[in-house]
Amino acid sequence: MSGRRPFGPLPLSIGGEGVGAQRCCAQGMGWGRGGSSDCPSRADSGVDAIMGWNVIGHEWVVSLLRQRLTSGQVAHAYLFAGPPQIGKTTLAITLAQALNCAEPDAPCGHCRSCVRIASGLHPDVQIVIGEGVGESLKIDQVRSLQRQASLMPYEGRYRVFIVPRADQATLEAANSMLKILEEPPVHVVLILTATHTEALPPTVVSRCQRFELKPVPVATMEAALQQRGVPLPKAQLLARLSGGRIGWAMAAMEDETILRQREQDLEQLTRLLAADRVERFDFARQMGQDPAASRRQIELWTSWWRDLLALCLHRPDYVTHVDQMETLSRMAARCSELQAWAVLKALQTTVAQLESRVNAQLAWESLLLQLPAFRHPGNPREKEQFVER
Amino acid sequence: MAGQALYLKYRPRTFEEVVGQEPITRTLQNALRQGRIRHAYLFAGPRGTGKTTMARLLAKAVNCLADEEKRPCNACSICIAINEGRLLDLIEMDAASNRGIDEIRDIREKVGFRPSEARFKVYVLDEAHMLTEPAFNALLKTLEEPPPHVIFALVTTDPHKIPATIISRCQRFDFRRVPLPAIVNRLAAIAQQEGMKVEPAALELIARQSAGALRDAISLLDQLTSYGDEITLEQVQNVLGTVTTAVAGQLAACLADGQIAAGLDLINRALDDGADPRQLGREVIEVLRVLLLIKQGSAAHGFALPAEQAAEMNALAERFPIERLLRAIHAFNAATTELRRGLPVIPQLPLEMALVESFLTIGPPAVTAPSGAREAPPIATASQPAVSSQIAEPSAATWTGGQPVRESERAPSISTPSPALQALSLSEVERAWPQVLQAVRQRNPTTQAVLNTGCQPVEVNGNEIVVTFPFPFLREKLGDPQRCMEIQEALSEVLRTRCRLRLVLATEYTPSSAVSSPPSEERETDGGTLNDQTLGEIARWAQQRGGETTFLPS
Repeated sequence: MSGRRPFGPLPLSIGGEGVGAQRCCAQGMGWGRGGSSDCPSRADSGVDAIMGWNVIGHEWVVSLLRQRLTSGQVAHAYLFAGPPQIGKTTLAITLAQALNCAEPDAPCGHCRSCVRIASGLHPDVQIVIGEGVGESLKIDQVRSLQRQASLMPYEGRYRVFIVPRADQATLEAANSMLKILEEPPVHVVLILTATHTEALPPTVVSRCQRFELKPVPVATMEAALQQRGVPLPKAQLLARLSGGRIGWAMAAMEDETILRQREQDLEQLTRLLAADRVERFDFARQMGQDPAASRRQIELWTSWWRDLLALCLHRPDYVTHVDQMETLSRMAARCSELQAWAVLKALQTTVAQLESRVNAQLAWESLLLQLPAFRHPGNPREKEQFVER
Repeated sequence: MAGQALYLKYRPRTFEEVVGQEPITRTLQNALRQGRIRHAYLFAGPRGTGKTTMARLLAKAVNCLADEEKRPCNACSICIAINEGRLLDLIEMDAASNRGIDEIRDIREKVGFRPSEARFKVYVLDEAHMLTEPAFNALLKTLEEPPPHVIFALVTTDPHKIPATIISRCQRFDFRRVPLPAIVNRLAAIAQQEGMKVEPAALELIARQSAGALRDAISLLDQLTSYGDEITLEQVQNVLGTVTTAVAGQLAACLADGQIAAGLDLINRALDDGADPRQLGREVIEVLRVLLLIKQGSAAHGFALPAEQAAEMNALAERFPIERLLRAIHAFNAATTELRRGLPVIPQLPLEMALVESFLTIGPPAVTAPSGAREAPPIATASQPAVSSQIAEPSAATWTGGQPVRESERAPSISTPSPALQALSLSEVERAWPQVLQAVRQRNPTTQAVLNTGCQPVEVNGNEIVVTFPFPFLREKLGDPQRCMEIQEALSEVLRTRCRLRLVLATEYTPSSAVSSPPSEERETDGGTLNDQTLGEIARWAQQRGGETTFLPS
């Protein structure tokens, strides 16, 4: 989530004063990417990234939106759904720019209005989020939104309210949004984002124009990364690792620590496969105390074993960790697709357990007991050679 | 705003325009004609079925200045005021935002004042299910006996959240989901008025997707207007992320024919083409369900499939092993729930896992395959004992066999050296059982603990070893594929031949081949005369451990 949002503080955020850049950053929109780094400011590159409709991927959404806007048909409520960091909020901000930009080819990205929206200083574009760090949206914030919505825009054409993570809103908040979502004042546009539409009450979804954002294709992402000066092998790797989440790829592109962290995690993974129970349980203890790392590891392991599954089925094209092909194929030669499946299943169970607030250490211990053992003797020369227990 | 959302633009203004709620419109119209207007109504039902619309229509109809038959006329000052949302006597309250007791007290205070221009003051409490309990209770008295000039209309999607005391004071109308043809007709009418050309198949897909909620359907149509005046099925599929059922059908064929890798390709290609994994999962389940029904004797033409597709489905059902079909349905069903949780890294992973899972035959065969399946020709791959036993069908075995390179790479590292099948006897297995347990323990102590509960080998058929377990709850424990594999590997290692494991609950076990391997013969072997094969084996065993064998004359 590190500095993912390409805009700065928003002075008029509903639900409390001083919802600044740091607050925005602290609002993780999902798990698995927290903890790796703090919030480096990315305002400079961010403005560049959202120039015009310069949204990477999601062409079908952009073309639909653009056509609607040029023909003057503005819907009053939009819903962008998709996995975290796929570009929902970026799209929402760009839409807000397009709605308020005065240039003929809106959004121009450089007029006063566009720049102010990008930097979060536009009085008519507001981000509605929960009051405290990581808190969900409450009914009071929605009531305040309703009050604000009845006011005319200060300088733009529309008052735009962006509600990120609407699926995290309390049931009361979501319900109290219903009326204004259905029939808002003419100058109001609401933009909701959510991880998927099922997470929202159907009554909310039914009132919005919904766009389910799909993962950005690997090729598009590779090209976009290369355009930004990422060398080819790294671009390939990032495009695959991101799972189509452009936000993640952009963050990883700028923040070396993310990839370095992955290297460390991979080492950890191979070491654990060879480790005995004492070492494994020690690791479980660490994971139990660090939820962020725990989630990162599970995501990494899942993609790793899925790679093995793909290799066992002779489908190297689907491999995510392309830079680890050697190790992967060596391991794949040592395990069957059923083994890979069994581990994936165990990982799935662990995810479910962690989400239902099972003792994290216990969940990890159970997972690690189910992990097969690939042992290599202490001899460093033989280190590469996995020997089954 | 330049363009109004279509679902607002085409909000019904007369009772006749309301789609799919005929019983309710008829009842209300009759009541209006006969002047039997009640003081409290409750409109409940799923989203987008016309509840709020009906409440407004009611408000218009009771206040309309036209003749009784023509109400609402949409021409008198009252109707126009309501349509424009500015009649003072229609008080539409957002009960989800104003849900406290104070708001209800406010109503109670003002309810006594006479209407300003209309005949009745109509209070519409929208989203009434969100009122708090004290608020509901504060409303009770007013709702039961309001002044004669007041009508309440409570509107909600969740009637079960409304206290029974409230419901009993209202005339309740339950709105039903709008039937598919009604939605299609309405959409077609709107499209015509908007000057759009929409393919009938596209309309039907939109209608199907909206699951009986008209607002969803119109909203989607609205969204599609951006594509221009002609809307094709393909565009709808693109927006919805639905794939053609062809992909789901192809995937089902892969499942039937045991082509895991091809199935993996299908899933990944569909996702690259913009399919939504959840949609794909649902469609696969739908196809599998039809196959299941066909297999159970339903005629394929009962599912409104084109003739060609029906024949295809019949053929597919024919060659789909029922056991795998059930497992596939189960696996994909679980996958759709899992997809909701889904890790963001690989959105399609649950589907891929379901695909692999469909090919597992784990643990004691609760739904036993016909014995023919077990007599599959032995696969000459020493390296994959687990796979060979867990994939029951010979067709599935072909893909395990087709990996010569991998297997030769793997062969030296695996500790089951003899690829040749050797006839095992029960006594041999029984004798080796403690060693097997030991070997299991090296792999996984928990598995050994499970086996120690009283599991024992009871029967040997060729290279298949039948092991009984005493308690039903062990089924789950032993059913774990990892565990099966461990036991199997241990058996193979100790007995030094490729073994297949079959687990049976002790009470369900019936000796199947008492004739083929008479115990008397084994006892004989037990008695001391070792046959040559056994001797050779002992020699080999000793050699491997660096020992030497000397045979003493008996």
